[in-house]
Amino acid sequence: MSFLPLSFGFTPVLFGLLALPVIWWLLRLTPPKPQTEVFPPLKVLARVLKREETPQQSPWWLTLLRLLLAALVIMALAEPVWNPRERVAAGGTTLALVIDNGWASAPDWNRRKATAERLIRDASDSDTPVILAFTAEKPNTEIGPFDPEAALERLNAAEPRPVPVDRAGTYTRVNEVLPAGGGASVALLTDGLATPADQTAFNALLDEKAGRLVWAAPDRFAPLGLTGAQNEVDGLHLTAIRAPGDPAPRRSVVGAFDERGRRIGDATISFAAGEANGTGVLQVPFELRNDFASLRIDGQDQAAGVRVLDENDKRRRIGLISQSEADQAQPLLSPLYYIRRALEPFADLVEPQTTDLAQAIPQLLERKPAMIVMADVGTIPEPARQQLVEWVQGGGTLVRFAGSRLAAAGNDEELLPVRLRVGERSLGGSLSWTEPQAIAPYPATGPFAGLPAPRDVNVSRQILAEPGTDIAERTWASLTDGTPLVTGAQRGRGTVALFHITPEATWSNLPISGSFVEMLRRIVQLSRNQGTATAAAGEQAPSLRPFQMIAANGALVPPGPDARPLAAGATAVSIENPPGLYGGEEGVVAHNLLPAEASFAPIVKPTPPVPTSEIAYELDGSTPLKAPFMLAALVLLVLDTLVMFWMGGVMRRRPRARLAGAITAALLAAFVVAAPHDARAQDTRPGDEQAVAAISRTRLAYVVTGDNRVDEISRAGLEGLTQFLIEKTALEPAEPAAVDIAKDELAFYPILYWPVDAGAPMPDAAAIARVDSYMREGGTVLFDTRDQFASGFDAGGTPSNERLRDILAELNVPALEPVPEDHVLTKSFFIMNDFPGRYSGSPLWIEASAEAQNSDNRPVRTGDGVSPIMITGNDLAGAWAVDSSGAPMLPTVPDDPMQRTYALRAGVNIVMYMLTGNYKSDQVHVPALLERLGQ
Amino acid sequence: MPQIGEAVASTLPSDALSRARTRAALVPDLLVEARRVVATVISGWHGRRRRGIGENFWQFRPFVEGDATTRIDWRRSARDDHTYVRDREWEAAHTVWIWADPSPSMLFKSKGATVSKESRALVLALALAELLSRSGERIAWPGLTDPSSARNGAERLAARLAHAPTLPARPDFGNVRRFSDVIVVSDFLDPVEETVEWLDVLAKRGARAHLIEVADPAEESFPYSGRTEFRDPETGEKLTAGRAEGLADEYRALYRARREELVRHAKRLGWSYTVNHTDRLASEALVSVHFAMSGGGGPRT
Repeated sequence: MSFLPLSFGFTPVLFGLLALPVIWWLLRLTPPKPQTEVFPPLKVLARVLKREETPQQSPWWLTLLRLLLAALVIMALAEPVWNPRERVAAGGTTLALVIDNGWASAPDWNRRKATAERLIRDASDSDTPVILAFTAEKPNTEIGPFDPEAALERLNAAEPRPVPVDRAGTYTRVNEVLPAGGGASVALLTDGLATPADQTAFNALLDEKAGRLVWAAPDRFAPLGLTGAQNEVDGLHLTAIRAPGDPAPRRSVVGAFDERGRRIGDATISFAAGEANGTGVLQVPFELRNDFASLRIDGQDQAAGVRVLDENDKRRRIGLISQSEADQAQPLLSPLYYIRRALEPFADLVEPQTTDLAQAIPQLLERKPAMIVMADVGTIPEPARQQLVEWVQGGGTLVRFAGSRLAAAGNDEELLPVRLRVGERSLGGSLSWTEPQAIAPYPATGPFAGLPAPRDVNVSRQILAEPGTDIAERTWASLTDGTPLVTGAQRGRGTVALFHITPEATWSNLPISGSFVEMLRRIVQLSRNQGTATAAAGEQAPSLRPFQMIAANGALVPPGPDARPLAAGATAVSIENPPGLYGGEEGVVAHNLLPAEASFAPIVKPTPPVPTSEIAYELDGSTPLKAPFMLAALVLLVLDTLVMFWMGGVMRRRPRARLAGAITAALLAAFVVAAPHDARAQDTRPGDEQAVAAISRTRLAYVVTGDNRVDEISRAGLEGLTQFLIEKTALEPAEPAAVDIAKDELAFYPILYWPVDAGAPMPDAAAIARVDSYMREGGTVLFDTRDQFASGFDAGGTPSNERLRDILAELNVPALEPVPEDHVLTKSFFIMNDFPGRYSGSPLWIEASAEAQNSDNRPVRTGDGVSPIMITGNDLAGAWAVDSSGAPMLPTVPDDPMQRTYALRAGVNIVMYMLTGNYKSDQVHVPALLERLGQ
Repeated sequence: MPQIGEAVASTLPSDALSRARTRAALVPDLLVEARRVVATVISGWHGRRRRGIGENFWQFRPFVEGDATTRIDWRRSARDDHTYVRDREWEAAHTVWIWADPSPSMLFKSKGATVSKESRALVLALALAELLSRSGERIAWPGLTDPSSARNGAERLAARLAHAPTLPARPDFGNVRRFSDVIVVSDFLDPVEETVEWLDVLAKRGARAHLIEVADPAEESFPYSGRTEFRDPETGEKLTAGRAEGLADEYRALYRARREELVRHAKRLGWSYTVNHTDRLASEALVSVHFAMSGGGGPRT
């Protein structure tokens, strides 16, 4: 099987394939077993059957299928392995395994680990002790020798570090523990990247103690490294390096991420053919650049492909100095107003607390601004001036604006770009022949190059520069007559610029044009922050605590346990100081893996005096194929079974539909069982159906007292009222509902008719509480003591009344009153004055509408809400009650048919009042409202 | 795959005794069933309980003017002063021979059928016996009983059937006389020539036969498919069909041709031919045969 990457664990089993011809012979001879059927009319059938040739042999494809099945089983038993791994015969008394786990190993760490694991496993076969060392670990890490199992555990625990490797130190330490007798195998699993001390390291390790060298290096070193990001005028200039000698041009995309890891910019870095350095420009708006927190080369999951950015690459701090007190009443005339408005979007503005220049300038300089804008500042007091000069020399950008004070002050060689003439020049005034001047196109060499010159800007007054030999090159912008408008000059590492006009709109309208903003932006982009925030805060912090670290795979992670604070000025990347951001929320310093001048050099394979073998980094790609083979055999078996069914006629039998139905049902059942329908199922609760039934239609409800007679009358009464409602009104309630106030949900019903029965058991406190909450939430309870007749002579003393009092004592009952004449209840459907039931005479008590006023003699008093309680003694249900034929069940007292009608009308009014509330009280005022509207 | 058809009892010829026992166990139930079936058939048999030309005594009645003096029964007349005439019962070919096929091929019941063919055949035979004996006919089972008239003729017949050790595969029609009716309940699955041959005895004797073919739906529709081995319950012979569904059309044609031929034969002789499927009601055949025996209509299929 050399032509296939396939080998077998137990080759002898393959001799079983020899049995295939026998199986074939057996299969050919054995037809499938027939179905046996008793069949009386066989004689008739025999006449038919004689003509048919009965197939006595299996069809050839079925035989083939079964042979294939048998072959698969045999081959599966032989334990086939795809891609069998090569064995590295390391041998030797000890295996010293030194693995580079620096940042360059991160992308294919698994591959390296697999290779190392192979070596250790081979060592474990011969029970060789293993020295396991990693070059990017702390020097005090234990390196062995271990037994192979422990070495494997340590290998699995190891991971790449985002730091450069330290071969020299590690190799020396390994050499110290190598057995003195020699004969040890040394396996160097390198990352392919040279370090300066390589040769020393190899010499230290590969002395007479090493009997054999196993060398592994990646075929080609693919990682890219970001070495720099310079914030320039037109964008963020990126530089990157790759391994030298790569002949192909290469383009990589660099993504810029903000603090929260969102990608906000893209750039392409291109490497020319054979070139190890690549550049790219990240062209995004300046404001957006300030938000960059890190840059990452796409597809490079290692630390060198990531670069973190700190404050130095971000927003500039700009100090603003003005000598005149800001006039709050006239902000548009404040010298700094337009500058502030122009700079705010893309810079941090810093203003001193005082206008005293001697204090203001040192204050500003403490903040280490990138740029200082001075609006019409004349003479600067001496100590401050000296500091300012030093700051400019050190790289600061000073932008000055002219004005009367500057015009009056003397020349300052160091803080002005050009020599100025004393006094200012006025254009277009009454004593001038010249017109106000426009701005000429910007010179192509200045910082404003490329900006369109504004055509609507006029300069009517300016300060003139003394003509000089270098005036032209210092002119950044000029008027159309050639006089300089903006001049600038280098002072040391810094820049001094002068606008020959005032920063407000008195001398020219440039400050209120869009061009002004663009010009300031350009100048801001020239500037550099002159220090970090923490340094600026005045702390002499010796070190910065780790804030966010670059992990070996390039991700930004919280600092690990090994990270130590970064000493000020330290640049070396080590285990203690892994690359990343140091500092805190208020300001960070970027500590990047690769310095700007870094380059990748390929490692040189040593030529020791010991035998050397070379291995490649490879994953253990061997795949046992036993399971797939068995699976295939199983699939064939299922297929064979189906074929047998088909040949046996199962599929064609008469009950095919039934069988198919059964199969479908079984499958469906399986799906239903497997389907995640729990979410819906758990939603239903017992009692849902009753609830749905109760609320799908409006129902009148009565309280079940427990006395069958009373309940029957209640039910019949509400039934009668329901019928009356259906006949007379648009409301069509469903059958009345019997409600057990202790158990049933009350909120479904607008009204509860409660016949108070002294004989019924007193409802318990919980039930009363439920009724109370029902009333508070908008329900209405109609209590009916049904004792008007009995209490005719002794009001208030009946048992039902007593019981009602007991019940109400536990309810929050509002103040009550008999239905007043102008209450909406008297007009909600029928106009009626009293509310009789079987008896008449008992008033209907409802909640007193104390605050309701009936001014203007309106038909109905105004007032919101519906009375939560009604009390009557007239036995309303008794009057409403009808039997199944619709005939009244109980006589009224006195026996007056109209009283029954009135009782039903009272019921209609009550129900309408319940359902419509004060709508009716508004409705009766419609004529008045219409009249008021003039219709 | 369950079988479509099954033998309801042992079908080996040597197991005659056990089969007889099975049948005996079956007969009482079938008798009840037969009576139930009969109850659904309104007995429209013309009344025969009257005097007429016949063999059997009917009554003595006083001699009246006009009677032939030769008919005076002197023995009876000598007992008193009156003269009596001996009347005989009117008899019009009124012996009905009933025979149901007891062969093992009848012991078959497919899934679609409600009862086995044998059961259906016995039910039909007993039902007819009940029906006929209720209306006073003389019923007989060839080879088992002689013609006799009794109200409980069906019961008697059932008792005899239950006690008969073995029943011959072919009926012995030696006692059948002219003008008798013969009811043959069978599946008629033997080759038509053989069937016609043993039925021709009846034709020669001038009897009128009513053939009832009891057929199982599986025999008729042939619902088999796939590789199937068919076994004949009578001979034990086996046939294997590779793809049974391919035979169905041809088989059905042959099966029907056999029936057609029998029907034609019966029609030619003036006999009736009724087919009853075991998935249908027994009363259907009963009504049909009853109708045929009452002289209305020709044979039905």
